[in-house]
Amino acid sequence: MAAVLEVDGLRKRFGGVTAVNGVSLALEARRIYGLIGPNGSGKTTFFNCITGLERRDAGRVIFKGERIDQLKPYQIALRGIGRTFQVIRVFPELTALENLIVVTRGDAGAAGRRARELLGLVRLDGLRNEYAGNLSYGQQKLVEFARVLMRDPALILLDEPAAGVNRTLLNDLLEAVRRLRDQGATVLLVEHDMKVVMGLCETVFVLDHGDKIAEGPPGAIQADERVIEAYFGR
Amino acid sequence: MIRAFLATLAGVLVLLAVYPTFGTGYGVRATQQVFMWIVLAGSWNLISGLTGYVSFGHVAFYGIGAYAGAILVTRAGWAWEPAALAGGLAACLLAVLIGYPCLRLKGPYFAIAMLGLNEVLRALVSYFEGLTGGGSGLSLPTLDASVPIYYAMGLTAMLVTLLTYRIVTSRFGLRLMTIREDEVAAEAMGIDTARHKLGAFILSAAGPGIAGALTARDQGYIEPVSVFPLAMTITMIVMALFGGKGTVWGPVLGAAVLFVAQEMLWARFPYLHQLLFGTIIVAVVLLMPRGVLGILQMKYRLPRTI
Repeated sequence: MAAVLEVDGLRKRFGGVTAVNGVSLALEARRIYGLIGPNGSGKTTFFNCITGLERRDAGRVIFKGERIDQLKPYQIALRGIGRTFQVIRVFPELTALENLIVVTRGDAGAAGRRARELLGLVRLDGLRNEYAGNLSYGQQKLVEFARVLMRDPALILLDEPAAGVNRTLLNDLLEAVRRLRDQGATVLLVEHDMKVVMGLCETVFVLDHGDKIAEGPPGAIQADERVIEAYFGR
Repeated sequence: MIRAFLATLAGVLVLLAVYPTFGTGYGVRATQQVFMWIVLAGSWNLISGLTGYVSFGHVAFYGIGAYAGAILVTRAGWAWEPAALAGGLAACLLAVLIGYPCLRLKGPYFAIAMLGLNEVLRALVSYFEGLTGGGSGLSLPTLDASVPIYYAMGLTAMLVTLLTYRIVTSRFGLRLMTIREDEVAAEAMGIDTARHKLGAFILSAAGPGIAGALTARDQGYIEPVSVFPLAMTITMIVMALFGGKGTVWGPVLGAAVLFVAQEMLWARFPYLHQLLFGTIIVAVVLLMPRGVLGILQMKYRLPRTI
């Protein structure tokens, strides 16, 4: 099966620091992938290069058979890649509902209904007219998640979706991610919570100092010596 | 509530429409000035209040409109009505030209670039004497059109406010606000921020351009220092901030209240009025950065349409 996303030799340097050092990977449709690694291993930079927020120095990013590494962030988003951020980026002075509606075009009525439906999914429909900035950290995270879904992206990049979200909500969220996968989306998530990664992901990539040091099913990754070394030292 | 508001609004509009038939000369002039400030503060609000890109040289559009209008009237013999529209168009063209490079700049850099633009334009109109009369200014042929210009200015103020209403209640307006809230997130969510900023910038230039051309016609004489003053930019900013940036009626409220306050201070304290006005500015920024309507909106969860 053809890959939804193909990353080939992606490299990004900040001054003397090589954040991503020639990483290659391929994501297939209808699967959930994990991207793990110690702090500073280049996970977020990798996300930023794919979504165009950072200009990569070398390498190719191919999405649905087309190169996207030269495109602007909004063009990449319109092609069907959605993402959340490690540090929440909701629009604080827009209401929860407006946060979702704002990313849509066309039929306003349909957009409103879809937004209500997604807010219902993350159990925030009752707070839809509240300014997003007034919501709790976890709730803002859910607004951000719902906002990504408004565009029905083919590829969803989630940067630490579990951090700061309580268990009940988290289970809902993970269930929602699985459902998205079943509906045909591909998900790549960065996560420090190993329980989440092991329970959800089918394939895990491990980054360390910008290098991809391992790739495989969660069980094998947990036993991989290079991975253990990267996390705990020799 | 909405009915009462609309009824009051209609009453005020009717009153303003018939005002020139019975008002004093000073009263009509002062009201026309309020109209002009509504145009300026409201237009500034479109780019800076909504997208958060603070323009510190918005009077440049007023100045370019004044010169475009005055030149068309004096050198090409145009009537003032089409010359006023041409003034608005000239300002929009300037916005296209400088919007591309300047709107890439973030935060204070954009503010400074706009400030610089205004200084450059003032120097340019002084330099091209043949066309603009240079430092000695440009006199327009005598014409008494003060009442029609009162209506034209009032109409422009209405249109700017109506435009703001339409934008704020649309998804286009929400998208502009996402630029203010978090431009990176807006881009990542598929919003073409560059195009939206430019669109808002062009819309924000039209009103000041028309107001400049109308004022030039009304006063009959313009010179570089009178149509490119930094103080005017500051006043329109303060008016929008006082009323509530990003709101529909904030700039209207700010223009009316602060203009009246300024006139009263000027009349009572001829030497101290600038100091007192300055104090008001500092107080507004420190005590209510959201402005009157912004505070009400947040506190009582009023809709965006105020």
